[in-house]
Amino acid sequence: MLVFRKPIEGVERPQMPADVVIVGGGPAGMACALRLAQLIDAHNAAHPDARLSKENIYVLEKAREIGQHCLSGALLDPRSMRELLPGFEKEAPLDAEVTKEAVYFFTEKSKFKLPITPPFLRDHGNYVISLNRFVKWLGSKVEETGITIFTGFAGSELLYEGDRVSGVRTDDKGIDKEGQPKSNFEPGYDLQAKVVILAEGPRGSLTKQLVSKFDLAKNANPQTYGVGIKELWEVPAGRIAAGEVIYTMGWPLTTKEYGGAWIYGSPGTGPKDNIVSLGFVTGLDYADPRLDPQRVLQQFKRHPFVAKLLEGGKMIRYGAKSMPYGGWWAIPPVAGDGWMILGDSAGFLNSARLKGIHLAIKSGMLAAETAFDALIKNDPSAATLSAFQKKVESSWIKEELWKVRNLHQGFEHGMYAGMFHTGLQMITGGRGLRNRYPAKAGYEHMRKLADLPADGGAEAHLLGPAKGDGKLTFDKLTDLYHSGTKHEEDQPSHLVIHDTDVCNTRCVKEFGSPCQNFCPANVYEMVDDASQPNGKRISLNPSNCVHCKTCDIADPYQIITWVPPEGGGGPNYDGM
Amino acid sequence: MKILVCMKQVPQKDAPLKLNESGAWIREDVSYEVNEPDAFALEEALRQREKHKGEVVVITSGPARAQQVLREALAKGADRAIHLEDPKFVSLDAFNTAKAFAAAIKDETFDLIFTGLQSDDYGYAQTGVILAELLGLPHATIIMQIEKTDSGIRVKRELEAGYFQFVDMPTPAVLTIQSGINKLRYATLIGIKQAKNKPLRKVTLAEVQPAIGENLQKIERLYVPEKTKKTEHIEGPPAEIAKKLVDKLRNELRVL
Repeated sequence: MLVFRKPIEGVERPQMPADVVIVGGGPAGMACALRLAQLIDAHNAAHPDARLSKENIYVLEKAREIGQHCLSGALLDPRSMRELLPGFEKEAPLDAEVTKEAVYFFTEKSKFKLPITPPFLRDHGNYVISLNRFVKWLGSKVEETGITIFTGFAGSELLYEGDRVSGVRTDDKGIDKEGQPKSNFEPGYDLQAKVVILAEGPRGSLTKQLVSKFDLAKNANPQTYGVGIKELWEVPAGRIAAGEVIYTMGWPLTTKEYGGAWIYGSPGTGPKDNIVSLGFVTGLDYADPRLDPQRVLQQFKRHPFVAKLLEGGKMIRYGAKSMPYGGWWAIPPVAGDGWMILGDSAGFLNSARLKGIHLAIKSGMLAAETAFDALIKNDPSAATLSAFQKKVESSWIKEELWKVRNLHQGFEHGMYAGMFHTGLQMITGGRGLRNRYPAKAGYEHMRKLADLPADGGAEAHLLGPAKGDGKLTFDKLTDLYHSGTKHEEDQPSHLVIHDTDVCNTRCVKEFGSPCQNFCPANVYEMVDDASQPNGKRISLNPSNCVHCKTCDIADPYQIITWVPPEGGGGPNYDGM
Repeated sequence: MKILVCMKQVPQKDAPLKLNESGAWIREDVSYEVNEPDAFALEEALRQREKHKGEVVVITSGPARAQQVLREALAKGADRAIHLEDPKFVSLDAFNTAKAFAAAIKDETFDLIFTGLQSDDYGYAQTGVILAELLGLPHATIIMQIEKTDSGIRVKRELEAGYFQFVDMPTPAVLTIQSGINKLRYATLIGIKQAKNKPLRKVTLAEVQPAIGENLQKIERLYVPEKTKKTEHIEGPPAEIAKKLVDKLRNELRVL
């Protein structure tokens, strides 16, 4: 019997007052905290008799340590960091400045280099970073200001007073598999906050609650996502230069799927090796439910160009994370009564440049300015916080996203249509055929098995689990082991399936249980069960979860809700 | 009851380890965590304090990153902390670590001193026992239960094969604590916040340098277990082959 996580009822919860609670300690949340501290410090220096305290400003981070759940390619456009901490290059952990870039179109055995790198993929002046190390550093800057970062604590529910968001409830700790408190049970806290800032990353669980409660997305396009599957490799020196950036399109995907790969070079930890970050982003709007994004990456590595790059190297880390592709039209309102939404949770990501870190940081800074005003005026109502909405719209966030507002929608009907629309949009300032292209949610593109060729057709090489040779390619469990994922085993499932009958009776027949395929961490399994009409029953391994949110996004029935497990659990993306 | 808990920061379990340039230790670029039995030692100290009042002090040695262990202990309820802070402490053997600890606490007396049974990285299981000798205190190892008595304490030791031993001993004493003696508590938000204002005394290497000497133990080389494969033909009549085979399995390979 599956028991799903939900907040324990009927317990007295400790209360803690807060001025500002930032949920999520990634680049957006950390930048927000740091900017807020800067503003308060400047204010206190100028007005020593009307000081503001930083005592009750908190960051909640579900990872055991700062940065452990942060995963990206990653390239950093330094624009917002230069605004936040001028001269940050001198002390931030930057692996290399981009010195060389290329875009290839792959066929199965060959490749074509695009004669010119499209302007949006020109990366000179950007930095190759490990987002994990970068955020660790950013977090240490936040801690120096005196703001408290609670690591190992997730936001599990929003608190409301009428229609106003009045705080955040943290996760209950010490609940067993049956949902009963253990002897070391600690109820989650109710943090009663003036301002709640959601910086949870893509498909944030509190953001999802908020958006649904107030139907915030009603005027926006549905958000669309991709899932990035990443491996970090140590390869013999000389294969790739530190600061070398390669993007690929095409194989192993066909013209029907959206996605592509990145390969970034970093200096190694010794003179004899280089670190290669490589990964494949697969758009979560593919048609065939048997497609497996982890397998897509394994296939990609078998391309002669990639195989040669990695030969003799060693895979040292693995991870997965979803990213919001939808662009400007998919962003819901980002401020309201008592709340603001930042970074990937809002959808501030430039899908043409494949970059969101700089936008996340900028959105955090703008939200900090607004939160600061709310503290000064002691008025966190929608009237004050809606200034954040305006700040975003008059900042370079909108300027950058406006130009690519229709990009991903243009690819809804495959690569050729996508290239046509992209070209047109580039010469019309992002407009293309019309000001706003509509979009469908990605899962609506998934087709039933009966409508697809039994042998997989042109996609056959992307379907089903990867086997792996143990050197260049890996099966899912081997990859998963390299994610460093660990959870308290004795807790309810944090993958909440609202109706398992759908899994056991309908999905298994109609879609062939795609959860087994799209989950990059083997959380979902269909096990034999003679008592079920189709002989299969859903079984979960929640301890494997790498917190990528793909299931919540890609499930064709939309009956999976990802909620945070007991704080402290999850992957360990050291160096990712 | 005044209790000192000696704690250590060790590489996280399951962390992918890589050898450093010297080949005698691992590269530092891994995540660290509290040594598991030390976490149980802290929990036991907090429970004893809840029963008998008093104070819980935590001590560790290591670079700046090791302070995390003390912060977590303070957040869970320890009263104050002592950090012997220097990267060089990591390379001390058990004898010198015990000497450094003894020097750092020379102006204080404790009713009980806890260490974890052993560390997850070096695995010496010596620091606590040597510390007891240096301080002239009795000690007991592999502790599964502690009860206060009129004359001191009664402890339960875990022996081999499911046997336990109960020992009455006087205090002050040093105990090395076995994992699983209790159930660990979680740090709370208020605990983490209060920990920021709890006293944390830093001790430099120079302060304890006079007390420590050359390491008595040294790691020559660290390596991943090497897999070797060897094939040997045993010839002769079947009875003799069987006898030789049994002999090899029993005395050379020691699998029987």
